Parts: sequence; structure tokens; C-alpha cells
Amino acid sequence: MYPKQEVVAMLLAGGQGSRLGVLTKKLAKPAVPFGGKYRIIDFPLSNCINSGIEAVGVLTQYQPLLLNEYIGNGQPWDLDSMDAGVTCLSPYQAVEGAEWYSGTANAIYQNIDYIERYNPEYVVILSGDHIYKMDYSKMIKFHKKRGAACTIAVIDVSLEEASRFGILNTYEDGEIYEFDEKPAHPKSTKASMGIYVFSWDKLRKYLIDDENNENSDHDFGKNVLPLMLSSGEKMFAYQFEGYWKDVGTIDSLWDANMDILNPSIPLDLKDVYSRNRMLPPHHLGENAEIQNSLVADGCEVDGKLEFSILFSGVKVAKDAEVNSSIIMPGAVIEEGAKVLYSIVSENAHIGKGAVVGGIPEDYPDRDQWGVAVIGDGLNIADGAKIAPKAMIDKDVEV
Amino acid sequence: MATNLAGIIFANVGEYNIPELTAKRTMASVPFGGKYRLVDFPLSNMSNSGINNVALIARNNFHSLMDHVGSGKAWDLSKRHSGLTIFSPYGGHSFVNRIEAIFHIKGYVEHLKEEYVVITNSNYAANINYLKVHEFHLENNADITLMYKNMAIPPKKEAPVVLYPDETGLVKKLLINPPVEDECPLSIGSMIIKRDLLLELVRQCMSANTLDFAKNLLQDNIDKLRIFGYEYTGHISLVHSMSDYFAENMKLMDKDIRDELFNPLRPIYTKVRDDAPSRYGLTSSVKGSLVAQGCVIDGTVEGSIISKGVRIGKGASVKNCIIMQDCKISDGAKLENVVIDKDVVITEGRALTGCETYPMYIEKQSIV
Repeated sequence: MYPKQEVVAMLLAGGQGSRLGVLTKKLAKPAVPFGGKYRIIDFPLSNCINSGIEAVGVLTQYQPLLLNEYIGNGQPWDLDSMDAGVTCLSPYQAVEGAEWYSGTANAIYQNIDYIERYNPEYVVILSGDHIYKMDYSKMIKFHKKRGAACTIAVIDVSLEEASRFGILNTYEDGEIYEFDEKPAHPKSTKASMGIYVFSWDKLRKYLIDDENNENSDHDFGKNVLPLMLSSGEKMFAYQFEGYWKDVGTIDSLWDANMDILNPSIPLDLKDVYSRNRMLPPHHLGENAEIQNSLVADGCEVDGKLEFSILFSGVKVAKDAEVNSSIIMPGAVIEEGAKVLYSIVSENAHIGKGAVVGGIPEDYPDRDQWGVAVIGDGLNIADGAKIAPKAMIDKDVEV
Repeated sequence: MATNLAGIIFANVGEYNIPELTAKRTMASVPFGGKYRLVDFPLSNMSNSGINNVALIARNNFHSLMDHVGSGKAWDLSKRHSGLTIFSPYGGHSFVNRIEAIFHIKGYVEHLKEEYVVITNSNYAANINYLKVHEFHLENNADITLMYKNMAIPPKKEAPVVLYPDETGLVKKLLINPPVEDECPLSIGSMIIKRDLLLELVRQCMSANTLDFAKNLLQDNIDKLRIFGYEYTGHISLVHSMSDYFAENMKLMDKDIRDELFNPLRPIYTKVRDDAPSRYGLTSSVKGSLVAQGCVIDGTVEGSIISKGVRIGKGASVKNCIIMQDCKISDGAKLENVVIDKDVVITEGRALTGCETYPMYIEKQSIV
């Protein structure tokens, strides 16, 4: 018998994140390192505990090893209480057979038992690929006050951007009357953030209805939400003010990291918890030149650093230059190497005098320029040159 | 990996020689290296040596220590049947010296399943594998193994113990506070002894009311027991005075010392705080320094240790300083050879200068 939890959060963390290329070759998108010491999933997990939600189910499917290990017993997020805490939910075999999670709604459907044991009033659905800080308890309060069946968090985007998002058209009081998935001519700028609060009795019913519909893709955005709307359920949009970014692409991941360095962007890393590695403070050598950068524990820097983020245990040797780049844990930049507008993955090795990426100003044809990405543990030989926008997935010789 | 060794750590060591830093804390909880407390070193060394049962004996001023070590989980010393136990005086069971302290915890020691005990001071920073010392102890069929290092006696060390082992390591002469100025085999305050022998010797001392650990337990038994010296050849920082403290912290600028002390295969653990990585602003210039997490640096820093959560404003200059956690150095302040304790605010434009061999010290929570 589990004590009742008023709210249970379900965090969708099974996506491959194929648009992140080599970065998600061996790990799920929510486990991608972010912001010098975090992984993306630290943000929703920290939000949960900071909102007073103590029961969190994490739905894993694609490359779950690192993600499961990282979440562990949930202790870094205080999600290891006796009564609830964090639980990794992977697809399983049952009497009726075994099936993968075929869609976001199906993933929740397959874990109805997990939710029911807490006998909750509300279920919050979250995704594991967004960077933002949010107090979900305010949204739940809004949901209760409106007596809604479903509340969807929305953020204002510009009219040009609106056609890239799922747009919600609402009445003045926030009640939704229409969904517009990536509209060519958006009627509103309220973009769905992929954060839903449901009254559990309603969600339960529609999950079962959706599961029984053979033509459904079992997806929240495509199937369950439109079904609820057409059935006349009360659905509201909840306006979120603050920083929010989908980090599903290389460019947006790079942008979101750079946003941390921008003092005018309101993304405060306070109260974001993570699993800490036991490393000494970082050391800046006699030749170090460092400006507008973020540096984690265990780094050894003797080169030049500008507009960059160094994760734990990174080495930047003398005369090396790192500009506008993200260097993930344990990577080594050797003497005289240049890393420009790039993402270098964990434990990669950039040889002496190698040049990775380029400065946008040097490329009048903007299509030739982009963020270069070096995969996990790869070795870039001394003096090698990696073009901007390249996605490197094997060792590079000269 | 469990060993046949348990640990005893003394938290209060030579505190009257360094009253500034220990006014409100034990020697064991003195901050070191920007993110550690001295006790992290013996605790991590014991944990990395597979020691599961550790007694931490604290006589006074131990609130900050208890806050730091908590359940011992950070050092993996919080297991179902073993882990860290903190011993403080209570009721009629107070103690002023080591022999009384061990007598005071004799119930704990008697019930240990481990047959051997490492006893250590907490005023050091080093990465020591106690298993090697234990092997040496067993190979020599020793009763007591004392660890020593060939070094000059630090000026302010009280009652230094100097051992004179023969070529086999057997100690036939042990002097307390001898008038030696050159390098000598100086005890570094860690030893291994069989649990039963320890209890027996402590009982003898208690009944004879001879309560000086070095004199009565070690020196008086030099002919009766097989006491061996184990030479420690690695790096060790011993802290006995403010000038030691300053100099030993500054040694962390040496990469070889850092690599040895913070060996990734034998990490030094500490209580974790969820600080963000440190942020360097557009006006920052930082060289030859060690910086922990959670700092925001917009000024100039040279040859300094900057602990977690420190803020250094625009135009501020910090040279050869140790800045402890959560201090705020306001815009334009100038500091040189200063040790600043926790939570201090240096207001705009202040200039403070100490001397390299005699650093200026600013008390915890001051506003300058």
C-alpha cells in the first residue's frame, strides 16, 4: 500500500533525439550534458522536487543504460523518499505479450499501474528535452481553479517562429478551442511547451479509449489532446513567463548553452541539482586567458577561453584557443589547437595544432557554416582540420 | 572490498597553534584547497583503503564538523552494519587527552570485528593508502607501526615525535621534541596497532594515571614492543600554524602535487553542495589560481585559492590570497597575502595587504 500522492509526474525520456546526431549515439537525449555540469534531465527533475512533486516516473526506452545509472535512486534530487521518489519505467513483458512504447500516450498507458498505486488526483506529463525552470505547483493550482480536464503550458513565441510549434488557439480566459500543429498561417503565438497537467480520472479514460483505437499513433499532441477537445472536455492554456528552450537540435543545444553566458537572459542555475563528480577545484595556469566562460570542477586550463563552457575534467593546454564552444566532460584540447563554434563530446581528444570548426564571419556563404560536432571519445589527430558544420563520428587522421 | 582495519580519527589536534581558524571549528573542519575540509583527507583515505568502520573523536567545537560529515554517506561510510560514528564527551565521560578518549570509546573498539586499527590526526592533506602500511605492519610482525616522513620539524608543532628506525624499520629510539633543526624522521601522526593491544595499553596507562600518548603509550614501551617506522614518501601537507596553512594551500598550484593528492583512482570526497560551474565575466583576468564551483569572477585574480560561491567584483584585484566560501569581494577592492574566512564581505575599494610569511587573517562573517 502506497501513501496517496496528490500529483504524480511522468517524464518522457525515451526519445532517441536523432537530430542531435553523434551526441545521442550512445545515450538518450535527456542524458546529454548541458551547462557545464548538468544533464538535460536535471532540469525537469529539479523542477519536480522544487514544486513539491515527490513521485516521478521516468519513461526510458532508447539507450537507457547511462540514464538509468545517472538517475539511480534519485538521491541528488531528493527523490529518494521512503514513500515515493523517482522510478525508471522501461518497456516490459506481460501476460498479453511484450511491446515497446509506441507513442507518448502508449508509454503512459502501459504504466497506468504505476500511477494508480499512488491514487493521484493529477498527473503531470513532462518531456526530458527542455531547458527551463518552472514551478509546476502554480500550474496545478491554475488547473484546479479552472476545474479543467487538461491544462497545457504555453509560451509566447514570435509570429515567424510560430509555424515551427504546436499552436493553441484560445478564448480570452485561456480556454482552448483549437489545436494548430505547425500552422502555415498561425492565428496565435501561444506555443505548447509539451507540459500537460491532467485530472487523472479524465486522462485514464482517454488513454484507454486511445489505446483501443487502432488508427491512432498513440501520441498526446496528435491523438489524445484532439480527442479530448472534440469530446467537449474543458482544456486550458497556462501562460508561462520565463526562459524555456527545446534543445532537440545541435543549433538549439548550442544556443541554450550560450544563453547561460548571456547576463541578460534569465536562466539562473540556482536550485538545479545534479549528480556531482568528485573532482578538485579547477586550475587556471600562468598562461590562461579566460573571458565570459563557465568552468566546472577538475578542469586544467592554460590556454585561451572565450564564450565557452567547460564541463568537469576538461584540459585546455597552453596556446590552445577555445571560442564559443561547448567542451564536454574529460575532453582534452592539446597545445596550439583551436576549437571554434563547436561541441566536443565527452573524452574526445583534439590533437596539437588541430582546428575544429570556424568563425561565422569567415564564411560569407552562411550555408557552409554551422556548429561542428565531435563525437564521444574520438581522437582528432595533430594538425587535422575539421570544417564547420561537420558531424564527426570516427577518429580523424591528418 | 573489506579489510581487517578500522579507523580512529582525532578531530581536535593542536588547535591552540592556529586559533584564528579554529575559534569556531575543529582542526578537522578547517577548510582546505577551495572545496575541502581537512577531515576529508583521512576519511577518504580510509574509505579508499576499504575501511568500513571509522570513529571520529571530537572533544569540542564540533558543530561545523557534524554538519560537514553528516551520516558519512559522502565517503561511502554509511552502510547497514558499519560506517562513521562520531564520539563526543557526554555526562561523566569527558576526556582531555587521547588515552582518555580511547578509553572512553572502549566499548566501540571492543566490538569491532576488525582486528587492527589505524589511528590518525586530522591535520593533514595527503592521499595515503593505509592498506600498504597495514601490509608492512603484518610483514614485520609489528606491534605498532608509526608513519613518518623525513622532514624538518615545523616551527610551531607541539611535542613532535621523532623516530629513529634501524635498517629493518624497527624503532629503538623515539624522542619527543628533540632539538633537531635538519630533516629527521618525523612522525606524521598516523599509526596502525592491533585492537586488543591498543585496549590493553590504554588500560595500563589509565590505571597508572600516565596519560601522555607519545610518552607513556609509545616511548615507555619502546623496549617491550615491536614498534616499526613506515616511511611515507608521498606528498603530505601538515597544518600546525597559520603560515603552514597558507604555504600548504599554495602548494596546490603545483600540478604534480595536485595530481598526486587528487588521484582520480583514489578520489578525495567531500560534502557536496549544488553549485553551478564558476562563471568568468568579460572583465575577468585569472591566472595561476585554483577556483571551486559557484563563483562569479569579474576581477583580476593571481596565485590564489578561491573557494566555492565566492564573488569577485569588477576592478577588484586578488593576489596570493585564500578566499573561503561565499565571500564577496566588492568592485575595486585590492587584496594581497590575505586569508579570508567564510562569508566575509570586503566593501568597495578596500585595500588589505599581509605578508607572504605572515598573511593577514579576516575573521568569519566580518564586513570590512
